[in-house]
Amino acid sequence: MRDSYAKFETHGVKLYAVSYDDQETLKEFAQTQNIPYPLLSDLDSAVIERYGILNTEVSKDDAFLYGIPFPGIYVVDESGKVVAKFFHDTYKKRDSPETLIDAALGRILIEEDAPQAEGGDDDIRITAAVHGGKGSVRQGIIRKLVVRFELPEGMHIYGEPVPQGLTATQVVVNGPPGLSTMATEFPATEHLHLQAMGVDLEVWSGTVDIVVPFYARGELASETRALDADSITLEVQVRYQACNENECLLPQTETFNLDLPMDVVDVPRLGPHLGHGQREGNYDSMPAMRRLIRRKLIQNPLGLPKFIWKNIKLELAARKRRKNRGQAG
Amino acid sequence: MTIERDESGFDAPAPLGHPARAGLPAGHPTGPAVGERLPDFELPDAQGRLVNFHEDRAGRKAALVFYRSAVW
Repeated sequence: MRDSYAKFETHGVKLYAVSYDDQETLKEFAQTQNIPYPLLSDLDSAVIERYGILNTEVSKDDAFLYGIPFPGIYVVDESGKVVAKFFHDTYKKRDSPETLIDAALGRILIEEDAPQAEGGDDDIRITAAVHGGKGSVRQGIIRKLVVRFELPEGMHIYGEPVPQGLTATQVVVNGPPGLSTMATEFPATEHLHLQAMGVDLEVWSGTVDIVVPFYARGELASETRALDADSITLEVQVRYQACNENECLLPQTETFNLDLPMDVVDVPRLGPHLGHGQREGNYDSMPAMRRLIRRKLIQNPLGLPKFIWKNIKLELAARKRRKNRGQAG
Repeated sequence: MTIERDESGFDAPAPLGHPARAGLPAGHPTGPAVGERLPDFELPDAQGRLVNFHEDRAGRKAALVFYRSAVW
């Protein structure tokens, strides 16, 4: 978010971040990490609770963890109404800052520094680009492969379903193992009824963006080990057929290769995160951690011993799994 | 802390089942819906200045991020 702050400013989108951290922590964090937008302190998680997003999977006996939200983002318009919201099944999946700006503006803005390739011909322009974070790959961070068709006046391409003999537009993304794609996002089609031929068609015309969101799993990019490579290649296959009222061109298949940089993750300078070959925070968050534990301990004195006991049990179970895997392998 | 890969394929420096890895259960509500106005609130920022969300954004569009912690 920090690195994209200027873009939010350029597009007139304000940015706010809420957590249950104390003000001193946020001040240190903002100073050392150069965070230019407001970090708001919801110390007792009252706003998190009022919004209905308190992480109810974390119990009061989970010591300092209690009070965190299900992480997520709301984007509002000028009147304060939600135009988009972003919540995922796991906290590991996070949206790119550019996705929030797109949601606020209601369009996809492909930037010049996005990895991209062009195809098509004199009439039809096709751009394949990776949108968000200059296309960099990190565990769980969702980037968007955007295939943009720019069609001349009168020409259209097809969405599903298509009658026999015509080809629906299709985008297939192939990447290295550990790359996951999410459901393809198609714009709404226009309905076209050709009376003479008695067929119904679903078409797109003008500028058409087809989006395939994707992210890396731990196999490809992890925060708990150093990266295997500096970059990956994404192979994008685009199949389409363009027609106008009089004639149809032959179905086309085009392949684009996009090189994406792998990105090191920023991790807090705290025990569990250290020594994994990632970019460690330039400030010691141990004092903030002690304050957080003390604060939660006052609210629930038994929470800490219970949490420590739970941790021991979970660690033992993990070791057993590892041992079993070792035997099986 | 043991590093483990979860069922979604993500690595984290905590054993599986650890509350720090707790995800959003399927079907769990996620607060205000699209089309609703975000509820008013006021919270102190890092400098201790009270920020009223809707007043502060002064009629501009905004992204409101709820994150877990700046500490860990």
